[in-house]
Amino acid sequence: MRRWLAFSGTVLLLLPALFAQSLKLEKTISSPADAPVQFTAVSAKGDLIAGACKDGRVRLWSFPSGELRQVLDLKDEKISGVWFSNDGSLLAVGGTRGSVKIWQLPLGKLKLEFRAAGQVDALAISPNRELLALVPSSESASPAELWDLTVGKEVTELPAKFGGSLALAFSPDSQRLAVADADTEIRIFEAQTGAIRATNDDFLLEIFAVAFSADGKSIFAGGADKTISVMDAASGKVTGTFPKQAFVVQQLQTSHDGKFLAAAYFDETNMRNPAPVLIWNIATQKVQSTILQPDVTPNGGGFVPDGRLLLTSSSGNMLKVWSAR
Amino acid sequence: MATMSQPALTRREVLEKCIALGTVAIASSYSAGAMAAAFAEQEKRPRKPTPPNDLGPFYKKRAPQTALLRAPGDPGMPLTVSGQVFNTRGDALSNAVVEVWQTDHLGHYDLDGYRYRGKLVVDSSAAYKFDSVMPGHYPDRVCQHVHYLVTAPGHKPLITQLYFATDPVFEGDPDHNFTRDPLIHSRELVRPVMLTGDPHDVLAAVRFELALELL
Repeated sequence: MRRWLAFSGTVLLLLPALFAQSLKLEKTISSPADAPVQFTAVSAKGDLIAGACKDGRVRLWSFPSGELRQVLDLKDEKISGVWFSNDGSLLAVGGTRGSVKIWQLPLGKLKLEFRAAGQVDALAISPNRELLALVPSSESASPAELWDLTVGKEVTELPAKFGGSLALAFSPDSQRLAVADADTEIRIFEAQTGAIRATNDDFLLEIFAVAFSADGKSIFAGGADKTISVMDAASGKVTGTFPKQAFVVQQLQTSHDGKFLAAAYFDETNMRNPAPVLIWNIATQKVQSTILQPDVTPNGGGFVPDGRLLLTSSSGNMLKVWSAR
Repeated sequence: MATMSQPALTRREVLEKCIALGTVAIASSYSAGAMAAAFAEQEKRPRKPTPPNDLGPFYKKRAPQTALLRAPGDPGMPLTVSGQVFNTRGDALSNAVVEVWQTDHLGHYDLDGYRYRGKLVVDSSAAYKFDSVMPGHYPDRVCQHVHYLVTAPGHKPLITQLYFATDPVFEGDPDHNFTRDPLIHSRELVRPVMLTGDPHDVLAAVRFELALELL
């Protein structure tokens, strides 16, 4: 639900795809027969794909070669998420019981491990690699946590009024942290200290995804209201909205050149139904591409420097890597 | 299935009714109301906090203040839920606010408006009650449920969900089968359902007491 493109459906409806962007198959990677890939993270450079596999391990492949580089795990804990730092030099893996491990790449040396208050549902590493923020989920609605990676200590907690948090993102200059909370508010913090700098409580429904614009001046926010709102990153005020869609926004990511915004959606009436990934032109606020291919259920992805959006999907123990522009 | 004509009364309500019916006599210079309040105070007992449960993805704030969630002619089994809000010391929290939201009988949440969403202000005895329909099942959740957000000054907000012992998923045995929904971690959240009315006009009634932790 809260994971990047984590659609797990097996029943796909054949929707008309008249306007859909065709995906290009870039690579097929095989994992062991007993370890199909459940979800992935793609490094910002597009040179690494980390796949959380059913056997409880994370496999790290080079892309586009498909060569297996590392096999990592959390010991006796299921994996809830994998995340790269922006430069691809760190890989964070979170677990269902709160374990967090951070490996230094390319050597795969363990840099830091600690335990969060609950299952790690969302995580972000600041672009300067000094801070880490995460969303733990637990029945007691634990607050988001801010950690200092340079000393390996928690800086502070970032509590909502109730219900914990759902999504977070650092600004490109690592100075701000935007957190979407279950109380439907978006809070913007000074990243280094966790001091609150702005709050937006205009949203009536929960926001599931936040992303900064490439220049750091805006924050895109999307969720159950099926729209993407544009917020001023300094004041937190909404300055515009993209046209409303038929589906709930699940994840957002800005392209490297700052021109496009990828938005993954889900159908709230049945998450197994197919839902599109849209690439929005940020300047025109119009859909550039609609990605909806009945035989492809994305389970991860991200923009790469040449402007392509890479998406992964699993079919048995075959991990397929697709691209769209 | 047990039947009853109305939801259970609180101890204080029972006492007040007894006073009104003459089955309890007040031999005191104080008013019946004051004596009932004192009785309720002495009956006060510590309570276990209500188990929390996921907020879920479709909470919507600024719900209208209404206890009538169903509209005339709405399909589905009419449902009345009532209860009282306490803290773990047993104090009735007469300043509590209870927000509830659920799907319609087909399992659809209203994201555009506020159907089957309401904010309830409890009465002086911290009692709440709302009228709705039995929520439906939907593909991504196993059991029928009603979401709760309960707040009161000086207390931790309570986020929880109410489940129904009559849910077909439990096959009549919620004691053994409540974990069929992986989100249900406490049997206490699965409440008995009492059917009232007549075969042509059945109403489901559920009692769900809530206990908040102090800050």
